[in-house]
Amino acid sequence: MNSTGTDTTDTTDAEDVAAPTDTPTDTTAVTAATDGTGQADNAGTAGTADGTGRTGTVDAADAVDASRRRWPRVLGALLAVALIAAGGALYAEGRQLRDTPATANLALTDAEATARVTGDVSSALGKIFSYGPGSTAATRAAAKEVLAGKALQQYAALFGQVERQSADQKLTLTTEVVRAGVTRLTGRGAHLLVFLDQVYERRGRAPTTASAQLTVTAELRDGRWWIVEIGTT
Amino acid sequence: MSPRAGRRAGWAVLLVAALLCGLGAWSYGQARGDRSLSYAKARDTALAEGRRHLATLNSLDGGDAKRVDDGLRAWLDSSTGPLHDQLERTRKADAKSLTAAGDTARGKVTSAALTALDERTGTAELIATVDVDVTPRSGAAGTQRKRFGATLARTADGWKVKALTAIGTGGGR
Repeated sequence: MNSTGTDTTDTTDAEDVAAPTDTPTDTTAVTAATDGTGQADNAGTAGTADGTGRTGTVDAADAVDASRRRWPRVLGALLAVALIAAGGALYAEGRQLRDTPATANLALTDAEATARVTGDVSSALGKIFSYGPGSTAATRAAAKEVLAGKALQQYAALFGQVERQSADQKLTLTTEVVRAGVTRLTGRGAHLLVFLDQVYERRGRAPTTASAQLTVTAELRDGRWWIVEIGTT
Repeated sequence: MSPRAGRRAGWAVLLVAALLCGLGAWSYGQARGDRSLSYAKARDTALAEGRRHLATLNSLDGGDAKRVDDGLRAWLDSSTGPLHDQLERTRKADAKSLTAAGDTARGKVTSAALTALDERTGTAELIATVDVDVTPRSGAAGTQRKRFGATLARTADGWKVKALTAIGTGGGR
């Protein structure tokens, strides 16, 4: 489409001859150019289809023009295809970079949320696994504040036995979280690995320390982390 | 279609193509430059490699001198920095005593989590529980449950264990 320029020169030349004093206005030039292409197009089709009108010399010249005219189109089309392909490839590459399970897990990447869930779960575990002979009721009440779902049921089943034992044996248990790491964190849920140290004290005996490892599932409800499942590693 | 309109349409197509290319490049650039994305990937890589190395460091085939030597080399491959130096220093003595004892241990990481990751300095803190199946040359096999804290460091050859500590064995100590 660009090589209409050649036509323009040709026709303008002709017009210059026709009206040498006046520089042709844009409109005339364009009209002339349009006419030129119109003729060329006609010639192109006429040459093959019916052969009416044009002489052989004009056909030949126009054929050269037509092939010149085709080149920029081909180049333009190739360029467009190349650009679209490159854009698509880059986009796909970017998607591939992003499309990884790593991004769905906010553990450590969201430092604040990670610290919060670790803190909430650690203090909760410290509370629910610490009791003395006279304070099991307080522990049971605290458990209702931090446990939910399956964890609460498990705990309730276990704690009746614990209460009796604590009263009978004058047993005091103190639990402390020594390490806690978040394995998986999303906007609503979290999985943690927690290392505990538990000190058992029976009246009249030396205290014993035991270590425990738990996997904890927590859920964010009403802006607070609740422990919904406790498992062993 | 008049050539003028055709030319215009051609340019429009080119422009749209260029825009699409630019959009793709922008999206790719965003993904490449996304700090939290690279951080998340570093976290998962460090955790996966840390787990693997921890299992290696808790495993040793004490069948004969050659196997012990292979095991010790695997330990060296899994470690870096102070732990690597220490293992290298005691390598000869370790080889002798481990071959003499002839016990075989196979470690399996049952659960692990990173507690810290500094991508800039290339260090990470890992906690893990490890079940170690020990088969003594004579006597009954058993499983020891251990928990560890490990410091990982990023090397040219991936994340490796720089320091390893057993955390509170408990059980009446």
